[in-house]
Amino acid sequence: MSAYLISMGTYVGFFMILALALNLQWGIAGMVNFGIAGFYAMGAYVSGLLVAKLGVPVGLAIPAACVAGWVLGGAVALLSVRLREDFLAIVTLGVGEVIRLIVLNEDQITEGPRGLRIDGRPFGDLIGPELYPLFYLLLVAVCVLITYLVCERIRRAPMGRTLRAIREDDVVAEVLGKNVLMHRVLTFAIGGFFMGLAGALYAHYVQNISPEVFMPVVAMFIWMSVIVGGAGNNRGILIGAGTVMIFLEGTRFIGDFTDVLDAEKMSAMRIILIGFLLIVTLRLRPRGLLPEPKFNVKKT
Amino acid sequence: MKFSMTRRSLLAGSAAALMTPAILRAQEADIAIGSLTPNTGGGGPFGPNITASHKRVADAVNAAGGVLGRQIRLYQENSETNPETAVRAADKLISVNKVSAIIGTFSSSVTLGIMPKCQSANIIQMCTSSSADIPIADEKGLVFNFQPLSPIWGRAIADLVLSRGLENYALMALNNDFTRSMMDGFIERVGTEALVQDPFYYNAGQSSYRSEVTQLIEKSPEAVFIPSYVTDFTAVYKELYRQGYEGAVITISLSTGDQFKSTVGAAADGVIHGFPVPALSSPAYKEYLTEAGLEDTGSVQHPFGTAGRDQMSVLLLAMEKAGTTDSAAVAQAIWDVTTGEGKKTVYNVADGLAAIRAGEEINYSGASGSIEFDAEGGVLGRDFQLSEIQDGKDVVIQRLEY
Amino acid sequence: MIFNALVNAALIAPPAMAFSLLFGILKFPNFAIGGYITVGAFAAYTFNVPLGLPLPLAAAAAMLVTALVVWLMHVLVFQPMEEHSAITLLVVSIALTLIIENVIRLFFSADVRGFEIPLERPWKLLGARITPEQVQIIIWSLVIGVALHCLLAYTWIGRAMRAVADNPMLAAIRGVNATRITAFTTAICGALFGLTGVFAGLDLVIEPLVGWNLTIPIFAAAILGGIGSPYGAIVGALLVGLAEEATILFLPSTYKIGVGFVIIAVLLLLRPQGLFGTAEIRK
Repeated sequence: MSAYLISMGTYVGFFMILALALNLQWGIAGMVNFGIAGFYAMGAYVSGLLVAKLGVPVGLAIPAACVAGWVLGGAVALLSVRLREDFLAIVTLGVGEVIRLIVLNEDQITEGPRGLRIDGRPFGDLIGPELYPLFYLLLVAVCVLITYLVCERIRRAPMGRTLRAIREDDVVAEVLGKNVLMHRVLTFAIGGFFMGLAGALYAHYVQNISPEVFMPVVAMFIWMSVIVGGAGNNRGILIGAGTVMIFLEGTRFIGDFTDVLDAEKMSAMRIILIGFLLIVTLRLRPRGLLPEPKFNVKKT
Repeated sequence: MKFSMTRRSLLAGSAAALMTPAILRAQEADIAIGSLTPNTGGGGPFGPNITASHKRVADAVNAAGGVLGRQIRLYQENSETNPETAVRAADKLISVNKVSAIIGTFSSSVTLGIMPKCQSANIIQMCTSSSADIPIADEKGLVFNFQPLSPIWGRAIADLVLSRGLENYALMALNNDFTRSMMDGFIERVGTEALVQDPFYYNAGQSSYRSEVTQLIEKSPEAVFIPSYVTDFTAVYKELYRQGYEGAVITISLSTGDQFKSTVGAAADGVIHGFPVPALSSPAYKEYLTEAGLEDTGSVQHPFGTAGRDQMSVLLLAMEKAGTTDSAAVAQAIWDVTTGEGKKTVYNVADGLAAIRAGEEINYSGASGSIEFDAEGGVLGRDFQLSEIQDGKDVVIQRLEY
Repeated sequence: MIFNALVNAALIAPPAMAFSLLFGILKFPNFAIGGYITVGAFAAYTFNVPLGLPLPLAAAAAMLVTALVVWLMHVLVFQPMEEHSAITLLVVSIALTLIIENVIRLFFSADVRGFEIPLERPWKLLGARITPEQVQIIIWSLVIGVALHCLLAYTWIGRAMRAVADNPMLAAIRGVNATRITAFTTAICGALFGLTGVFAGLDLVIEPLVGWNLTIPIFAAAILGGIGSPYGAIVGALLVGLAEEATILFLPSTYKIGVGFVIIAVLLLLRPQGLFGTAEIRK
């Protein structure tokens, strides 16, 4: 049982990092990203390929994955400065899908649909198999903490104020002399950095990745985490990610008690429940479980 | 962060609260077995049959008093044919339900995806997967594959087709490991010179397959071979028919089941399909049809459902034989009860259990094939059969026996 | 190849027009259209196969059912959430598609199905191969395009629909009952999605993901044509159809799914208002 909780805790950790990164991009800076699965895949495959194919130490591969996410984030942001946010949603979804298609089709490099096996993992030689899951949970928790602190720091810093200003009205922000483009690209890139981190951590945790993992539905769960938790509020995001995971995983246990629904119907039921979670939350708490705190605007 | 930590423990706490009754329910005396099947996604058309077979065998054994004097507790999970979901489901089966085996995984990425977890927990895996990486990744010898690797399918179908005198082919495969390596096996036998153009892949879930089909039949090949799953093949075949292709259409029987036939109707006539088959005359297959409430149509039904029956049966027989649920002993016993000459042949789990209890050596012969394993846990040769759809029914046109 | 593209376009054009109309009113890209199309396909299947209605009748019934579903979803889900941002609504619409898809899976399972109608061999025409069914789809698609144009351009209700889409406040001042007009628009769009479900069922297969698979090409067509411009949607559909067919000449066909996205991205970067849309004046 505790082994299960440890592994679920680890998964919640991946979700939390992704959701915090999305919250930075969207909740705080107002830039839409539906290509989360693509960033996640980028991190997972960059780190996985470096370790599995080139024998790069894990300690270097994971930062490389972060940098890859950072670059991708910056590039997408540069591409999309001209776009309205609803169109940006579709374009970023496309970025995610194109990345998945590349991973799927360029199988000489990525092993494509066969899946990539990654034996290397952080401190894999030093820590025994008994303790390893617990160690990994701690590692992921530390990464969540770092992500949280960075995001929270940005949110509270002058940069966060500028980002919110851009989110509310970029023209006014521009007029006020803020470098809107630079702020946007930088924020998106930082978000990409953490998504890459989550991907790399995921890859070395499951040790076997394939393109099927990175379907757009991943982005959906992360968006739900952010919206349910409360966009703009980093603590809310942590709760949101946990809630979505409880719904995803907790609903499994219903199957152990009842024979009314077979496995196929049960899994349909689970997705339906998760969909309702979002709609009901929005109806009852329109701004999420923990809404973004209002910032005092000093009138002069 | 202090907040988030307390919240995390709150999360853990509430998750634990959700699970507690499950622990209370699983009694120490029960043997827990996990069934992890592809009930939705790419394997969606096949998973429910596997699930049902696992349950039928377990229920029947329970009704007759169980194995080793203990009841079987079956935990069923859906892999959604997605390795990510599957790994989490496997986590739950292993750590919460304490299963001693996870059976029924279908796509190779799922089987391989959960393998690190299963190996470190010493859990037996039984699958119907195709990847040649499976025996390599299985370092502890705990994985048993109830299906020949897919290049073997490709070669067998090619051998059968070649003997029909077809001379040139165009090939297109669904873009996954199973179907791609099947295509490779096919090419190995027919030779690249028999291909009218480069083979190519397509993805499932497209809004149309028109351009792929146009490209496939552009050079008017005598035959096309399309390793695929039923959902995409049905759409592809409709398009082939509409574009007026008159040559031979060859695929695997997975794609041409009743769903396919009822969807395309009379136009299905003439499709040729091959498959590793149970000996259709085998008593085990006939018993399976009765158990599943099916009529004997003379054609292959529930190709993976039969494998599901065999997985559960072999597992339970091996446990009885080993006298324990310890995985190393059970893995050894799996060879004992399935492979080897001069033993008593049994076709179902009840007879097998009776024979083992009477002290006899047994060799289980299953509904999906005779079930003999090689040293790596892969199922040895199965018969292949080539059928043609005629008047909406499968008519066997050729058989390759091992 | 041109003909292939034409059939693709005929399949995509009506829902692209409907999507465009819906966007005009709701102001967000509604991913729920995937779910709506699936509802149409399964409704038509239910009327056609288990209940034994002839396909044209079943199609009409399916359009009615889908219109009702789309209107209900609008009233139950989207209307009460009007104050939310477009992106939140977008996420909700994806959740809605997931819900619809899985409700259908719950009742029908994921099995592949088809209508009670025989497959036909093609006529050979100027080197192209064409089936009667495809001709029907193309004709119906054209009829719908023209009808929709007439509705929008020449009738009172059409003008009211455009007015509500352009500026709801102004429309209200002029005495247009926005609620009723919106209900009418959602129902019309619903009927079109229902019909698309029928066409998709004819052209591909009926399964819970049938609508989702069409969503991106539909988006691409509508955006290419310029949101809010039904004619543009037709041209957009043609171009998307052509582009998807042409991909296979340059790229492995496994990249085809990405084509819709690339079209959207390139076009939005070069001409954000679409080919036929008018430039939006930023407030």
